[in-house]
Amino acid sequence: MKLLIIEDEVKTGEYLKLGLTEAGYMVDLVQDGRVGLQYALEQSYDLIILDVMLPGLNGWQIIQQLRTQQRLMPVLFLSAKDQVEDRIRGLELGADDYLVKPFSFAELLARIRIILRRGAGTNEVTLLYVADLELDLLRRRASRGGKKIVLTAKEFSLLELLMRRKNEVLPRSLIASQVWDMNFDSDTNVIDVAMRRLRAKVDDDFEVKLIHTIRGMGYVLEEPESTL
Amino acid sequence: MIKRFSLTVRLAFLYVTTSILLLVGLGLLVSQMVETHFDEQDAYDLQDKLQLIQNVVGTSDSVPFLIGRLDDVVHNHRNLYVKLERNSQLIYGSTDSAITKFPLMNEFTPNQMLKWRKEGYTYHGICQNGLLADTAKSKIDICVAIDTEHHQHFIHTVGQSLAVYILIASLLAGVIGIGVAHKGLAPLRTMKQQAQSIRSLKLDAQMPVDSVPVEMADLASSLNAMLARLQSDYRKISEFSSDIAHELRTPITNLLTETQVAISQPRSAEAYREILASNAEEFQRLGRMISDMLFLAKAEHGLVLPSVETIQVADEITALFEFYEALAEERQVHLVQIGDATLSGDRLMLRRAFSNILSNALKYAEAKSDIRVEVFTSGAYVHVQMTNSGATISEASIPRLFDRFYRADTSRTNLSADGVGLGLAITKSIVEMHHGEICVTSAANQTQFTLRFPCQPVVS
Repeated sequence: MKLLIIEDEVKTGEYLKLGLTEAGYMVDLVQDGRVGLQYALEQSYDLIILDVMLPGLNGWQIIQQLRTQQRLMPVLFLSAKDQVEDRIRGLELGADDYLVKPFSFAELLARIRIILRRGAGTNEVTLLYVADLELDLLRRRASRGGKKIVLTAKEFSLLELLMRRKNEVLPRSLIASQVWDMNFDSDTNVIDVAMRRLRAKVDDDFEVKLIHTIRGMGYVLEEPESTL
Repeated sequence: MIKRFSLTVRLAFLYVTTSILLLVGLGLLVSQMVETHFDEQDAYDLQDKLQLIQNVVGTSDSVPFLIGRLDDVVHNHRNLYVKLERNSQLIYGSTDSAITKFPLMNEFTPNQMLKWRKEGYTYHGICQNGLLADTAKSKIDICVAIDTEHHQHFIHTVGQSLAVYILIASLLAGVIGIGVAHKGLAPLRTMKQQAQSIRSLKLDAQMPVDSVPVEMADLASSLNAMLARLQSDYRKISEFSSDIAHELRTPITNLLTETQVAISQPRSAEAYREILASNAEEFQRLGRMISDMLFLAKAEHGLVLPSVETIQVADEITALFEFYEALAEERQVHLVQIGDATLSGDRLMLRRAFSNILSNALKYAEAKSDIRVEVFTSGAYVHVQMTNSGATISEASIPRLFDRFYRADTSRTNLSADGVGLGLAITKSIVEMHHGEICVTSAANQTQFTLRFPCQPVVS
């Protein structure tokens, strides 16, 4: 997976590149709009991360150029402009997502994965497995090591999200949005409480812990290092 | 008007135009009356003379005799011209030139005064038949005319005098008009000077109200009201800026201290990870705070609702209860929902507004108590009431509860998941965006927030 970052703020660009490289992507970083457009036209990228305010050409112009030249790779906007009109404009011009600065890296990573997975097409699974944890989506049943786990409807959705996106760190805001459709930050620790309760049901009685808190990032459900 | 003239010029112009119209009208009326008067006088004179001549004709038995008598009658009337014809044959002319003064006979209507000009003079004349007292009773056409020159001259002089008078009066009216307008607009100039002296830091300057005419007093008091509003807004913005600076100072100081302590000596990777994670949490809180402050700033600039739809309030409350379910169980608080109503507004924003109130209630609710959310329509308003049992909010805090960064409990340290005291301010601005109101009462360990929205759809 090859990504192109067009971002004129040096520090932001460098850290994004570092973070995404460590997340396993090939990353090119460009600081100027014109050069960025050239890169985007000459090479094939799976995703372009685009700042709106850029020297040379701005983000709107770049995406317009790309789309008029039938380059349909996904584009994710990063912008300091938090105006509904801007967001709508970005999406109208054919962007796939729009993140407002300051954003958390975990959030960006989660969204990049959503966009890249979109193209791959999800095969309709009805059973999810992680280690000995099993989720039956049809019967709405969860079990671990053959023992049934009783979950509320929302806990089930939460576990499904964690399992479908295992090994990915999911920020709290994304969890709130995906599970409860709450698209704003609550000023409470409600997500932490909900996760704690889910953990109590999923991990507490077992030696191997599957759900982990990554401080300052979010939560991840990880397969333990394979023990053959 | 292509060029924009000053109010003074416009008023003076109107004044002058009005004066000219009035004076010219008066002048025309006077001229017309004088002329009519002269015409009537001439007609009367002519009839008089005509009758006299008719008498002479009617009592003369032959033309020569008639002519002799006519000369006697006519010659002491200056400016009187007489012409007699019989069968279109001239039989008498009062002077040699008299016959040349008359137009053709057929232009006359019997007994109607005719006005005509000839050789630069204006005449009034009249024709009528008379019967000679001869045996044949022969018909004589009698024409009488007078030279109206001195009347014309008089009318002309009057006209000229009027014109000169009108000209002078108009100029005078112009001068007076400019003076009056200038004086009348003096309060405006005073206001202008006042306005020029107003600076953002000194918005308390006032426009004069008592010393100006009524119409301008209205303007002045409106301007004063505007200044008062601006002043309060300006003060709010200033406060907001200083609030922001203060609120940012603490977390930034923490971050800086923590980071600098961390790099002051080598540590284990684990310790670094701890510090960075703690920093990340602090940064996330900062980011949230900045987003919230931007939201408030935009709301105060009259942010329009991004989208308006019809919302079942109960559905939103249910969704929020599901969201806060885990938290409520942990705090051993029971969530109770009663009633439903329809609202039109922005779903995300309303949800956020309700969420802030609910999370606030959860924060302060006693264990094993109920949080009741009642939704009902009363009159033209939809009410959403959230009640929780918990410590009574002090009287002093109530009015400040919706202020930015206000925390009722000043001693309370900023818990990691806690907001920065913007939640209720955001709720209030969202409610106001929907043309609603929010109020809070707290007594006997019961705190109740009431959100009231108008039933009729909000215009985005």
